[in-house]
Amino acid sequence: MKRFLRERQPFHHILMAIVAFLFMAPLLWMLSTAFKRPDDIINSMGTITWWPHPFTLENFKIDLTKAEEFPIWRWTGNSVFVSLAVTFLVVTVDALAAYAYSRLKWRGRDQVFAVLVATMLVPGQVLLIPSYLLIRELHWFDTYQALIVPAGAGAFGVFLLRQFFMTIPVELEEAARLDGCGPWGIFWHVILPLSKPALAALAIFTFMGAWNAFEGPLIFTDSMSMRTLPIGITIFQGRYSTEYGPMMGAAVLAAVPVLLAFLAFQKHIIKGISLTGMAGR
Amino acid sequence: MSATIIAQAEQAKSTSAVVKRRRTTSPGLLFALPHLILFAVFLLAPTIFGFYISLHHWHVLAKTHPYVGMANYSAALTDDIFWLAVRNTFYFVILAVPAGNLVSLLLALGLNSLRRGQTVYKVMYYMPVIISIAVVAVLWRWLYNTEIGLLNVYLKGCVTGLRHIGLPLPPFQPVPWLSDPKFAMPSIALMSIWWGAGGNMILYLAGLGNIPDDYMEAAQIDGANAWQRFWAITWPLLRPTTLFCLVFSVLGSFQIFGQSYVLYAPGSGPARSALTMALYMYQQGFSEYEIGYGAAVGYLMFALVLVFTILQFRLFSQRDDIQPKARRAA
Repeated sequence: MKRFLRERQPFHHILMAIVAFLFMAPLLWMLSTAFKRPDDIINSMGTITWWPHPFTLENFKIDLTKAEEFPIWRWTGNSVFVSLAVTFLVVTVDALAAYAYSRLKWRGRDQVFAVLVATMLVPGQVLLIPSYLLIRELHWFDTYQALIVPAGAGAFGVFLLRQFFMTIPVELEEAARLDGCGPWGIFWHVILPLSKPALAALAIFTFMGAWNAFEGPLIFTDSMSMRTLPIGITIFQGRYSTEYGPMMGAAVLAAVPVLLAFLAFQKHIIKGISLTGMAGR
Repeated sequence: MSATIIAQAEQAKSTSAVVKRRRTTSPGLLFALPHLILFAVFLLAPTIFGFYISLHHWHVLAKTHPYVGMANYSAALTDDIFWLAVRNTFYFVILAVPAGNLVSLLLALGLNSLRRGQTVYKVMYYMPVIISIAVVAVLWRWLYNTEIGLLNVYLKGCVTGLRHIGLPLPPFQPVPWLSDPKFAMPSIALMSIWWGAGGNMILYLAGLGNIPDDYMEAAQIDGANAWQRFWAITWPLLRPTTLFCLVFSVLGSFQIFGQSYVLYAPGSGPARSALTMALYMYQQGFSEYEIGYGAAVGYLMFALVLVFTILQFRLFSQRDDIQPKARRAA
């Protein structure tokens, strides 16, 4: 019995499971509400029914069939496209730059890098107003460029990859140089293949950040067809503020793809957090 | 762009060793350039341009933007609503950061002492972090519903149950989570803690993993109980992680925007109780079109964040320079 308690830790597991339920409850409730009839939600008065009865897809029908009022497919498409493009841009540009700051010597390198690091303290929101004017000036307002290109300016990924690149032994680089590799060859054949975990972590977090981005899409777009999912959700809320069924249906549609992606990649994501110190946001 | 780089690389390959060495030193800037251009245009320039805007009376629709010096700043500093936004933001930081970090630390400690099944719990605790703030806020608006929201229904059940077994509690009054100015920020903080606790939990867990088992075993042999082991070993050795998490939580929390925006829409709550600095800047810039004033509010926020970050780094380095060395010596 004593051994069972020590090795299987039943009480510990019970406690952790209760906490896990507290964390999962809001999400389960979202799911449950999404499959309930609107009348059943309003008339629930003081009782909580976790299992929808009767089970209905009515809410999703409302969400998905009003394409003119709420182009939710378009918003999803926008979110997917913008997030993928931002991820590709950030990883490419940051890897090249990190290589330049960690492995190559050039005049002014350390001074430029110091400026990069210093700007990491600038809160993103300070940039909203000037960036808005800049986007207007470039005639990028309400376009995909406005949602994608500015995201490549951040210095965090450069900083992160630089830290990682610096841990790669110089001997490998020298061996490659003896084999006739130039700086591009070393970058492509030595540095990148050895940095897969860091690149993957940066890619995953950039994608999640872009998928959930809120302030940028709110300010840089204004037509229904250019909105992304998070902004679309707030548009839904403006219309269905007290109709919780369609509301939760839309929330489920927006959340489930990322949650599934998370479950598929959870190992890498959690490893990435400890590796990078990014808490995921 | 990349074509030039490849061409250069090819060229470098075919030249002699001496030239090769010189070549390897030259293309550094070229590799940095794509990012550097984006950085200069979309980060550095706006940072400076924002300050320039804040020195002007800049209305979106106006043709001219006269220079007004520090007038926007002095206007903000004498603006009651600005100070209300500052107070609300501080209130949020105080509510959300310590409690949030405590939750993260407790979760990490719980997971760390588990022999098996860690991953399942870890995934569940982390799940809310994945979701966008828009979805989170829409969901919590439903949970916080006064009459039929999950929280009030369960609270009512708890209170009635406790009264049944004879505890002298007053009859249950529905908690006005979102409609009462007193509850606005606490409600936002509770939601934010749920949303973010998993992120720092992973960092704390990594920190705990770095503490050598020998220390714990030695303390156990010396007869230290779990409580003593925590205060004598875990807590001091975890300090770098704790301070890292605190600094970034504070940085993030000062910028709170989406929570108030989605829960309360731009008006920002009963008696403006959910109005934060970032939201006030947004209101001034994009609802009132007073872009100059909005930029000034943004810069005041920047200054505040900067002061707090420097303050925390001071605490950071002082303590940390001593801690690990002292431990190693012992």
